[in-house]
Amino acid sequence: MARLNDDAQWIVLMGFMVSFSLIFLGIVINQSTVVGQTTAEGVLEFPKNDILNVRSAIFQSSTLQSSQITPLSLTDVHDDIISIAMSRKNAIVSYRVKCQELLDPNCVSKIIDIHYNNGVTAYNETANY
Amino acid sequence: MVNYDGQLYTIEGVAAGLIMLLTAFIVVGTTSVYTPGDTHITDMQLEQMGSDALHMMNTPNTSAASAESALQSMIKNNEKDRFGETFLSFCDTTAGGTTDTLQFSADIYYHKSNPMPEGSVYKVNFTESRHLTGGEHAVRVTEWVQVDNSVGGVLLPASPPLDTRVQAVLVEVLVWRD
Amino acid sequence: MPDDGGNLSIDFLAGMTLFMIALIWVATMIPGLLIGLQSRSIDYDAVAYRTGVILVEDPGMPANPPWEIKDDLQKDEIERFGLTISKETPNILKISKVERFFCSTSFSYPDDYRQRVIFGDRPYQFNISLTTFDGMVNDSVGDIKPDGYGYIRRVVKMKYPSNATIQDPNIRNSGPSANVTTHIFSLNINCTNLIGDEINPAYQINPLRDQILVNITNLSKARVFTNLITGDLLYNPCSLDSIKIYRQNPSQPLVQVRTVDDAYIDGGSNLSAIPPVPPGPIVNDTVSIIFPAGFFYGMANDNTQLYINYTFTLTQKDNFFNNSFTSPYPYNYDPNKVTQPKLKEGVLEVAIW
Repeated sequence: MARLNDDAQWIVLMGFMVSFSLIFLGIVINQSTVVGQTTAEGVLEFPKNDILNVRSAIFQSSTLQSSQITPLSLTDVHDDIISIAMSRKNAIVSYRVKCQELLDPNCVSKIIDIHYNNGVTAYNETANY
Repeated sequence: MVNYDGQLYTIEGVAAGLIMLLTAFIVVGTTSVYTPGDTHITDMQLEQMGSDALHMMNTPNTSAASAESALQSMIKNNEKDRFGETFLSFCDTTAGGTTDTLQFSADIYYHKSNPMPEGSVYKVNFTESRHLTGGEHAVRVTEWVQVDNSVGGVLLPASPPLDTRVQAVLVEVLVWRD
Repeated sequence: MPDDGGNLSIDFLAGMTLFMIALIWVATMIPGLLIGLQSRSIDYDAVAYRTGVILVEDPGMPANPPWEIKDDLQKDEIERFGLTISKETPNILKISKVERFFCSTSFSYPDDYRQRVIFGDRPYQFNISLTTFDGMVNDSVGDIKPDGYGYIRRVVKMKYPSNATIQDPNIRNSGPSANVTTHIFSLNINCTNLIGDEINPAYQINPLRDQILVNITNLSKARVFTNLITGDLLYNPCSLDSIKIYRQNPSQPLVQVRTVDDAYIDGGSNLSAIPPVPPGPIVNDTVSIIFPAGFFYGMANDNTQLYINYTFTLTQKDNFFNNSFTSPYPYNYDPNKVTQPKLKEGVLEVAIW
């Protein structure tokens, strides 16, 4: 057989070009509608309120007045926060309260190390309170 | 006189046309328009507002040393109706004067310390605006509250009962729009 | 030899025609494909959320000195609006920032707001509204909302400024001061104590940034004395000669910073001027001064003692109003001396289209 007559290949080529550009357009449009979705999902996924909440709960627990402290009370609240965060918020929370002045019995100013990790977002802070 | 030479361009044209049409139909058929429900935008709006409402309920209005936030006193004294009214007033009021219609269901999670086994977290139903039937699309908002059950107050009716000490509880509220 | 006969074969025409028909058909379907791209509605909710966060969780830029004390001529120094008191207290808004934000004479809709709170490349239209539950604040900026818009609602609490109302028992002082006609009443704003005693910005009185209102009342009661001969009650008219502000920084001498040139006298709704040279206006019952937010910002720092001295001239000698021999009236966190309003609930809505 002689060489295939491919004079008219350019018509099919044009057809293919139009198809590929349509596919490309389709992909671009598909990604654009996802913009709004990922924005809202990103907001929902970042645990902003969880972290702010846990921080203020930890700060509150560190200011327990001496009259409210039974021998185990401070560690009890610590255990509360850690257990409930693990079972309900699926987050690992650990924190430690140290006194800034080592010899201050009232522990007026404290240094608090906070660690939070919910599997997607990790937050670590050393706060002076 | 008919020969087969005249098929070339026609065939190519038909083939190209078919390819374009097929691709166009496939592409137009697959790109979908997302509704706000798919994009979780309403979820985000509800979640932010519910968190705000709980956070404001847990902020004392004055700085007196004994100032409790509204939420602390509601949990300490088992004031279920007051919780419902306050929470709904925060969620339903709009700046334009109209009111929204939200429903909620609130639970409290607490932890018992020694001598119970470590890691025991229990739940007690607090209050709700109506029963969950299962068809609602709800978001969950939470707030940590430090409750002083060592002195006074009305312990929440829970089984096993709450410890009579200062403790941190988690208020979990499911919020949905009817 | 090239074929320039100028006629096309039937086959070519048929193929080309079929191709062109298919091409035109597909081209007319493209606008339907692009409808989704033109719709911006999904973007609106994201911009509304971002605007809500900027307003409700951020104190604005610049935060030091706070943007709300910049006057209209320095408007360009404000990079971003924010209504909250500080970064540590999200959702708790300061009334002075709210009033400045919604002030239509200072900032024009929409350009001033677009650059400082909406951001983004597209010229979004917007409506931002803030209402308190008790109805005391009901502000909004922007257009009427159309049918479809991006939306966010935030629940907030508002912090109102503190005030001191000084009444009869506080005015009457029986120190060793002899009966005199010139009385100096002094009010002390101890910045060190005010800023140091309460570290939570939601409940703190910060004299450098907050509005301070001082009301001296019941002057008519304080000035009553009995005519010993007739038994009639007589008033001792007094005039307010000057109000001076003094400052003392640590290890520095006391200096006068400035005078206050007008005040609200006897409950009038307009300011009465206090001329630099006595005699000043006659006061029967009340003197009120409002120090707006940021008034003391340039003249004091965190460790300054500020003294506000009222000088009264009485017609008859008396010893009721002079605390220059005892102690100045303290502006502190004692609820008997200073009233700090409670935080009030409110709701902020942002609509973008």
